[in-house]
Amino acid sequence: MVDFLIGLFLASLIVALFTTRLYRLLLWYSLNSLTLGLLALTIGSNIDDDGMLVTGVITILIKAVGIPYILKNLSQKFHFVRQITPEIKVQYAIMLVPAILVFTFYLSEPIVNMIHTNANYVAISISSLFLSLLLMMEHSNVAPKIIGFLTLENSLFLLGITATNGMPMLVELGIFFDLLMAIVVINLLFHKEEMKV
Amino acid sequence: MILYLLTLVLLVFIAPILLSYIKAVKMVLLFKRPISLMQGYRNFSKLLTKETIISKESSAITHYAPFLVLSPLLVTMFFLPPVVEGAYYVSFVDAFTITGLISLSTFFLMLLGLDSASAFGGMGSSREAFISALVEPAMVLTIFSVSLMADNLGVGQAGVNLAQHFPKEHMASYLFAGISFFILLIAENGRIPVDNPETHLELTMVHEAMILDLSGVYLAIIESASSIKFVIFASLFASLFMPFGLEFSAPIAFVIFILKLFIIATFVALLEVNTAKLRLFKIPNLLGLSIVFAFLSLITFYVLGA
Amino acid sequence: MMLALLLAPALFMFLVSFLHNEKSKYLLAFSSFVILLPIIKLFTLVKPYAILGTYLVADKLDTYVLLVSSIVGIGVTLALLTLDKHVKVSPKANRRFYRFFAIFWIGLIFSILSNHMGIYWIGLELATLSTVYMIKTNYTPAAHKEAWNYMIVGAIAVSLILFGIILMYASAKPILGEDAMQFDLLLQHAKEIPSPFLFEMGFAIATIGMFIKMGFFPMNLWLANIERASFYPVAALFSGILESAVVVGFFRFSQIAMEVNYDHLFIFVFIYTILTIFIVSFLIFRAKDFMRLFSLSGVEHMALIVMFWVSGAPFAALLHFGAHAFLKPALFLSTGVLESNGKYKIAGALRGYKGKRGTIFWFLVSLFLLAIISLPPSPMFFSELYGFGAMISTAKESDHMLAMIGAVLFLLILLSIIFYRFVSIYQSMKYEGETESKEVYPSELFALILFALSLVALMLPDTLHYLKSVI
Repeated sequence: MVDFLIGLFLASLIVALFTTRLYRLLLWYSLNSLTLGLLALTIGSNIDDDGMLVTGVITILIKAVGIPYILKNLSQKFHFVRQITPEIKVQYAIMLVPAILVFTFYLSEPIVNMIHTNANYVAISISSLFLSLLLMMEHSNVAPKIIGFLTLENSLFLLGITATNGMPMLVELGIFFDLLMAIVVINLLFHKEEMKV
Repeated sequence: MILYLLTLVLLVFIAPILLSYIKAVKMVLLFKRPISLMQGYRNFSKLLTKETIISKESSAITHYAPFLVLSPLLVTMFFLPPVVEGAYYVSFVDAFTITGLISLSTFFLMLLGLDSASAFGGMGSSREAFISALVEPAMVLTIFSVSLMADNLGVGQAGVNLAQHFPKEHMASYLFAGISFFILLIAENGRIPVDNPETHLELTMVHEAMILDLSGVYLAIIESASSIKFVIFASLFASLFMPFGLEFSAPIAFVIFILKLFIIATFVALLEVNTAKLRLFKIPNLLGLSIVFAFLSLITFYVLGA
Repeated sequence: MMLALLLAPALFMFLVSFLHNEKSKYLLAFSSFVILLPIIKLFTLVKPYAILGTYLVADKLDTYVLLVSSIVGIGVTLALLTLDKHVKVSPKANRRFYRFFAIFWIGLIFSILSNHMGIYWIGLELATLSTVYMIKTNYTPAAHKEAWNYMIVGAIAVSLILFGIILMYASAKPILGEDAMQFDLLLQHAKEIPSPFLFEMGFAIATIGMFIKMGFFPMNLWLANIERASFYPVAALFSGILESAVVVGFFRFSQIAMEVNYDHLFIFVFIYTILTIFIVSFLIFRAKDFMRLFSLSGVEHMALIVMFWVSGAPFAALLHFGAHAFLKPALFLSTGVLESNGKYKIAGALRGYKGKRGTIFWFLVSLFLLAIISLPPSPMFFSELYGFGAMISTAKESDHMLAMIGAVLFLLILLSIIFYRFVSIYQSMKYEGETESKEVYPSELFALILFALSLVALMLPDTLHYLKSVI
């Protein structure tokens, strides 16, 4: 089950890399966060960690529902460009994505020998880190870059959940707080009309 | 052996029904009155009685090609994984053979399109070549990685192994292979994001453009070939990615199998209703995605074992 | 209790920033001054002093950094009082600036004083996000664009840091459990970490994140662009305070990494910093205006601090850090006056000051300019002397003496390029161009005098003694 969800996580990220529409990208991001939340719930109930369950619920509420909704509202309010074509052409992306995956999988091979539980997940979260960096790189518009940043956050959480069986509760709540702060700042940054003042 | 032959007959008979079913589901969702499930048979019998007209410019290939399109697909049907436990199956045929047979059929279809000497035929053939060149590597990789997960390179044996031992420890790579194969299923059968089988619009045609000049018996053969192709892919998907329900007694297992086919057809229909057709030069995006997933499945399985 | 005292001025500032009153401007500045008081109190307490359990612990290193930062904060606030005389700034933007300045302080106090990797990160992220909006208080399209750039670069850098932190946490969790996020425990048990590869990978990723945030090698120009586009007090904040929060994190992480595998750490950081200085020295040579010049030189000095720290001279690193933290904001604040008549003009910038204020101003600015390139009375001279000495003495124990001497010579050549450029800029400021009359306001002069006094205080024997006792 955990493997399945992690696969879904990576799959939604890769599909997001090839997306050319903003709302579709939001959908993939929301699916990505949903799998993350479900993953936290599954692992949390496996190891009887209440903190992890709370994290999972908050993830689903904030990241899978809240943030995509807010971003969609923002996009309607500030008239974002909704057709977002990646700067990196598809034929190169097809080569680049597997290259990144192979590189990161082999990069983390020594780890597989070191940690015996959940070692694969470290590899997958490092590769999803690189893929979200690629997502930020391949778009020139601001909105997909924000989504890239948010998926970066997701891959951090994936690492936190799978590699360490959850960080201390305090830290996780702090990260959520910072994420909300980021959304507030992003919202403020979009207010262009204040430039006249 | 009886079960094996029964499966073959079942697949051949259910093939037109599945395509009609997809159409019917789409019509229901678009608030139209749905066509009957037997529409495929009606079209077939109607085409058999019609006169066959062949273009003056076409050569002998037009006479042979329809049969050569159909026959590799019929051969492929013999190699599919079994539907019921204990049934006879061919175990040694691997991903390359199946892909090769399917592309042989596609090759003759393209030849048929070129042979009609019309502008449409050539255009359709070149587009088909463009798509299938992207489909084949992904297909080989996908079936290969599923076979690896099932510990056997033979597709039939892989289906049996998967049914006996579901690859729980390889869920991630299994999922990637499944996504990849579903995209291939859509692309190879010319369903909506790639090709629209219902229009005769110049800009969008792929499959229809190649057979535009055919009529009568030949058209009937080609139509049945395309429905059989769909059923081959659907049953491969059913036995490789939904490997359950084989252990029941024969009638129940057959019912479960048919249900699986209809579920796949429903998914395809839902996808067709919900998406618009891609522009031709956007198709590599979709197929590239499928190649990435196929490769990812293989590499995840090899390096991480997940 | 101590935590409440530390946070109270910032919270007060945050609340006051919502008042639409004429007088609130002075109230805000006052609350910013008050921040210094609890920090001085903290400075006099016996170390290590637990502020909040094991999460926030004040030891010698972080109180020093916090003290330096708060003095810089006061200088920046002083300059803010007369910001509207030099550039157009609305009262609303001023209030917004203070609102985010308060959040910035809260984040900064948490991140500098933390003894916990997670809390360090939370504070850093809070500080980063709040500075994003400060850039935008300058209502120009360039500032808008750079605010976005900073948002994205900062987010990537901070995310990389968190990624590294999680990896380090994962590497130490088998022996320390949930406490594996505490710096002091990690330092004690660094030798027992079961998977050093994982730790080193985490350290490398976190370090790259921090280096991006300090503007190191592949990301040299974003900091300069941002500081060019924003108001000069924001640039002073960046170079004086935010960098210090980052550098504290680097100090703490590298202390642990030194225990795990010193050679790997040293080679990685040394090559990184040499590359940075190599590129930055040529960028400085081509710099055409004050802001870019100073921010690039800031990158250079950060690289030097990091280099001294890893080559076993924490004293030199801390002295250099303190000197840089006072000098650079002072220079950034004085650009407000230097560039006030026509931007980007270097020639003649030091001419045309009248009266006592003007004389003191240009005298101080020229002193700072000469101090930043480490001419002898400056603390930077001594720290560089110590630092290079420590590098050589570290290399003596290994087989790489010759390589180290080569590296030091190479560094000296690069530094002399920067030296040459600064001297020629000084000469062009003083002896070229036309004389235009410029106005200096008392608040700015106070800020400069404050920085000058702090620099002198840094050279006192007591301070040097304190710095030597930090590690």
